[in-house]
Amino acid sequence: MNHAGALEPDILIVDDDEGHAILARENLEAAAVNNTIRHFRDGQAVLDFFFSSGPGPHAAKAGAYLVLLDLRMPGVDGVEVLRRLKADPGLRNLAVIVLTTADDFREVERCHALGCDVYLRKPVDYAGFAGAARRLGLFMTLLLAPHDTRS
Amino acid sequence: MPATLKELRDIKAALDVHSIVAITDPSGRITDVNDKFCSISKYSRAELIGQDHRIINSGFHPKAFFRDMWDTIGSGRTWRGEIRNRAKDGSLYWVDTTIFPCVGRAGRPTQYVAIRTEITERKADAAQLKRYAADLAEKNEELEAIVNTLSHDLRSPLINVQGFGDQLARACEQIRAAFTAAGTGAVPASAVRRPLEVEIPRALNFINAGVNKMDTLLAGLLRFSRLGREALTIERLDMDALVAEAFSAMKFQLDAAGAHVRVGPLPDGRGDRVQTSQVLSNLIDNAIKYRHPGRALSIAVEGRVENGQAVYSVADNGIGIAPEHQPKAFEIFHRLNPGGPAGEGLGLTIARRVLERQKGRIWVESSGHDGSTFYLSIPSAEPQPAAAP
Repeated sequence: MNHAGALEPDILIVDDDEGHAILARENLEAAAVNNTIRHFRDGQAVLDFFFSSGPGPHAAKAGAYLVLLDLRMPGVDGVEVLRRLKADPGLRNLAVIVLTTADDFREVERCHALGCDVYLRKPVDYAGFAGAARRLGLFMTLLLAPHDTRS
Repeated sequence: MPATLKELRDIKAALDVHSIVAITDPSGRITDVNDKFCSISKYSRAELIGQDHRIINSGFHPKAFFRDMWDTIGSGRTWRGEIRNRAKDGSLYWVDTTIFPCVGRAGRPTQYVAIRTEITERKADAAQLKRYAADLAEKNEELEAIVNTLSHDLRSPLINVQGFGDQLARACEQIRAAFTAAGTGAVPASAVRRPLEVEIPRALNFINAGVNKMDTLLAGLLRFSRLGREALTIERLDMDALVAEAFSAMKFQLDAAGAHVRVGPLPDGRGDRVQTSQVLSNLIDNAIKYRHPGRALSIAVEGRVENGQAVYSVADNGIGIAPEHQPKAFEIFHRLNPGGPAGEGLGLTIARRVLERQKGRIWVESSGHDGSTFYLSIPSAEPQPAAAP
């Protein structure tokens, strides 16, 4: 969790593949990304986090988050997560980057229709991603308080 | 150039051999038919003369179709078209038809000569071709979906193999750096402990798991593709016996799960014994695997005959499949509950393939919490009652 008022968002990795999540975390850390990184094993877990349901940890009211979302997951998949987030006025502007494994244009189109147009294809070049994100000021500007409906 | 009477008789004889011929008066009443007309329509000449063509109307064509025909020939022009007729015994036949209006002095038709060729077979072939095309399109879509799923599912472990391969390289680099830093002296254990004890074993674990996963996927794909080529032996299946066999083969697991099994009297079906029994075993196995931890497993098998298909239901009281996940249940390598019991995500995909190959179907109904009911249909063993004329 970042400190109140801090601009660095927490990075939420939503991926059912344990290995992919470890690689994401370690490669981001190797690229000197010092943000708090959390891992969610499926879509339901990250929805519970944002919608404050279930016993797990929940999103902070003034927290800033960057979601790295795998599309293909069993149960609640990435497309469903995106649909739920975009349908919520307080979460609609949350920064979500979709991770795709196959070049499944149909799924990418569905996400596009749901309002997400930032994609990274796996395997992700995390060093390149961190560099680009820094240069674009992505970590500074994409921070959005999820439950602040006034923004 | 006046033809001799003999020439005209010769042409008429040839025409009668080749074509179905009818002559009607201007109001449409039949005044003459040839033998071929009688034999295809199964009406005698006496039954036809004096009637109009409604006697063989099959009701297939809309009113506008015949209105257009009458408008055309009524104004003295030839009409051509394909008509579906109904014979006296109710059988249907298609004829390619030319109606020629014989125009009299006043410019009005005095009679109509209709010459027809039967094209029932060609029509059936065309319809069959259309069905084949639709089948092929469906199969093609299915294959595309399989390639799509497989490319994702293969790439997923591959990413781990690549990624943890890089981690291995990084660990080697750390160890090398420790050796370089130590020079000729001893390498401090603290510098190599983490790569040796944590990073390298973990990377090897993920690489091994990834390779095994890819191997399993490819073996599954091979099994699936082989299934499509295996010859089927379609025979009468005593489903009561087949289901009882499937249950007794799994008696150990059923007893271990404390399962209560109920099998209703089942109608016989027609299908491949080995493959149908595999499907049954798979459904029972799923019922055991996905049983509800909070209640004793119960499985009920029932059957009925519906429109010539024998439909069997295998109902359990397990964890169920949420409606939104049901379409995915039959997708290749899709596992609804990957954290749950082991499986390769092929059972239901194979079941669907097996049933489609023997002109059957499989589907599931579940409210999502109080169990699932899988239905499978195969052709009924009982001869179908003839369709009413």
